[in-house]
Amino acid sequence: MVEPAIALFGGAYEKASHVLEELLRETGARYVLLLDRKGFVLVHKEALWAPRPPALDSLATLIAGNAAATQALAKMLGEPRFNELLHQGATYGLYAEEVGDLALLVIIFDNTAPVGRVKLFGKRAVQSLEVITKEALVEPGTLGIDREYHAGASALLDELFGN
Amino acid sequence: MSTINFAAREINFKIVYYGPGMSGKTTNLKWVFQQVPQNRKGEMVSLATEDERTLFFDFLPVDLGEVKGFKTRFHLYTVPGQVFYNASRKLILRGVDGIVFVADSAPNRLRANAESMRNLRENLAEYGIKLEDIPLVLQANKRDAPDALPVEMIQAVIDPEMRLPIFEAIATNGIGVFETLKAVSRQVLARVASAG
Repeated sequence: MVEPAIALFGGAYEKASHVLEELLRETGARYVLLLDRKGFVLVHKEALWAPRPPALDSLATLIAGNAAATQALAKMLGEPRFNELLHQGATYGLYAEEVGDLALLVIIFDNTAPVGRVKLFGKRAVQSLEVITKEALVEPGTLGIDREYHAGASALLDELFGN
Repeated sequence: MSTINFAAREINFKIVYYGPGMSGKTTNLKWVFQQVPQNRKGEMVSLATEDERTLFFDFLPVDLGEVKGFKTRFHLYTVPGQVFYNASRKLILRGVDGIVFVADSAPNRLRANAESMRNLRENLAEYGIKLEDIPLVLQANKRDAPDALPVEMIQAVIDPEMRLPIFEAIATNGIGVFETLKAVSRQVLARVASAG
């Protein structure tokens, strides 16, 4: 509500997409995502060889929740922040890093992608993405939708949930 | 605030179900999940304990459809109601666009309702949000309980100025669930429209 939001479109979106595509290529990861801290996907890219990813909404929500809980833990321990999250299983791994205060970079990789490479290129990508997302910040209250949209959405509410 | 993804042509809103433990927040979401057609919803994610108490949150994305070329989606969350999970509750409120406060109609939960509302006010304040500034609707759930308190008595405790809409519900069989969700969704849309 009070914090600004990231509105990625046009040139900023293209730039962020390019960074994620490069990151996929450099790391050999399966999927890379840029999320906002509320758990909404801003941009995502998939390797052509990778199978369809799990539901991105759920993935983004869980990662944002996990990152928020990790930051709360850091503060309780007197750390300003824990910069990265890394989970590794027998086959898959997940790496998440903060992009400024409002976004997260997520890299999902399998055991053919070395973790060191994922972290190295992940951190480089974060530097670029931080600049892009800062430029795409909008203040709350400036992203209004028009009355026509409002009327259309209200009609859909009736259709989905009944009159 | 809502997230508008111009590139993917999506508008996303975050709605949080708040209220004391066992008041029926998850039951509301389960009903929505059961009733909304397959092509209009995503997976429901529940982070719960073995006895089905919400540990972190439940999450359900619902697609409203396309308006003016924008796919509109509501992300529904519940918070854990139990008092000692406040750290988790606070995290879930980040970026919230609208709130459904689910109150329990049982007499012995009246105080828990009041405490949960006070806790909501305090947690929102940490994000710099006043309760009065956010779309909020009340739901008096478990109206089928034999000793259910009058709705006015419940509202007097959680909304003494009687300024908020309140819906009676029996979430286990869906009564009042969609009405409540529709009301908060409309308030959220109206708020964003008035910002434009």
